Amino acid sequence: MAQARTTNRGSDARIGSTARIRGRIHGDGDLVVEGQVEGAVALRGDLTIAEGAMVSSEGIEATSVTIAGALEGDTLASGAVRLAASARVRGNIRATAIVIDEGARFSGRLDCEFDLPTELGGVSRGEPRGRASTRR
Amino acid sequence: MASTVIGAGITIEGEITTEEDIVVAGTVRGKLSAKEAVTIESGATVEADVQSGSLAVAGTLTGNVTAGDRVDLQSGARVVGNVKAARVTIADGAQFKGNVDMDV
Amino acid sequence: MADNTTVIGHAARVRGRLTGEVSVSVHGFVEGEITVEGDVTVESSGIVDATIRGRRLVIRGAVRGDLVGGESVGLAEGARVVGDIRAPRVAIAQGALARGAVEAGGEGEASAVGARSQSAARTAASPASRGAPLPAKVVASSPVVRATAKLEVAAPVPIGPATSSAEAKPSHAPARRPPPPVVPILKKAKGQVLKKKER
Repeated sequence: MAQARTTNRGSDARIGSTARIRGRIHGDGDLVVEGQVEGAVALRGDLTIAEGAMVSSEGIEATSVTIAGALEGDTLASGAVRLAASARVRGNIRATAIVIDEGARFSGRLDCEFDLPTELGGVSRGEPRGRASTRR
Repeated sequence: MASTVIGAGITIEGEITTEEDIVVAGTVRGKLSAKEAVTIESGATVEADVQSGSLAVAGTLTGNVTAGDRVDLQSGARVVGNVKAARVTIADGAQFKGNVDMDV
Repeated sequence: MADNTTVIGHAARVRGRLTGEVSVSVHGFVEGEITVEGDVTVESSGIVDATIRGRRLVIRGAVRGDLVGGESVGLAEGARVVGDIRAPRVAIAQGALARGAVEAGGEGEASAVGARSQSAARTAASPASRGAPLPAKVVASSPVVRATAKLEVAAPVPIGPATSSAEAKPSHAPARRPPPPVVPILKKAKGQVLKKKER
């Protein structure tokens, strides 16, 4: 997240605050969005939506996502998603970990993979640990 | 430092508009419009019409260019398209195919 | 300021509805419903199979049910929540995991809890309660309230043996501090207003 400020590295990218992109963004590398993006984002890297940025997307996919601006659309991360206090998010989030700082506005579904203790049902939707009886 | 940088591993398909400058090291397909400088680095691929204040190309550009100021095709550049600008320089080693319109 | 805090101890199992102008700290097992005027903390050993409604909710344990905070909901490290979360302020810390719909910021159930507290304050025999602690009403619907630890429905406050955690001090009725929120990002803001005065 912090590294994205130095965009001299070949694979890093930044969409400046006055830039507007309508279309698809995809590829390898980290991306910091400070401007406006309308469209899909599919990244093998860390995505940062800076404060003041606006992303309206049919879907965002990245390794990790840090949101301090406005996002409308679903987010899918193989790693962690973090909503900073200035985030304004509407859409569903699916990630291995989701952190929401107080002050963030969020409306949508959260989806992390984990199991409740057995007293509460025990088996998560995605990981059928109980059913993997071959492991025992 | 450019305010928008499209890194080497990134591809953007669509329209890009900015009030400032932009450096493309990756791939852009569609339309590109900047008020200030556009730089297409070596290794970058742009398949788009470009509108900008100025343009410097060291990579591959396919599309028409309209620049308010100057267009510089550097060595290694491969450009196919029409260029309309106040000033145009084509360096030794640059490849260019298209019309040049320096409407003063 | 002391909300009267009900403690559901580590070895307690409660089935039923827990309501009242109290705060609740759950270290054990609760199944049913928790709807209180005060704050609710589900500690790391707590397991709750219920929708929890309160003013400020702090979750460190496991919950299957919705979390509705009149003021805030905070999931601290170790929290495991399956259910919807609604509050004007929602915070989910590193190490907390959740699945469900979330409404954070802006709307929230402040009006609903406020309305409930107003009607409860009027119907409950509350005028004299400014200093006196109110008992938590643990109401069992059809299932009888079962507790493997001592559970006195009529008695005020602590149910079951308190764990060694500092917050659970049984039989200190008046003026006990509510459990300090461990999630430091949650501020004890205007919630302080809704203390005994409201009754």
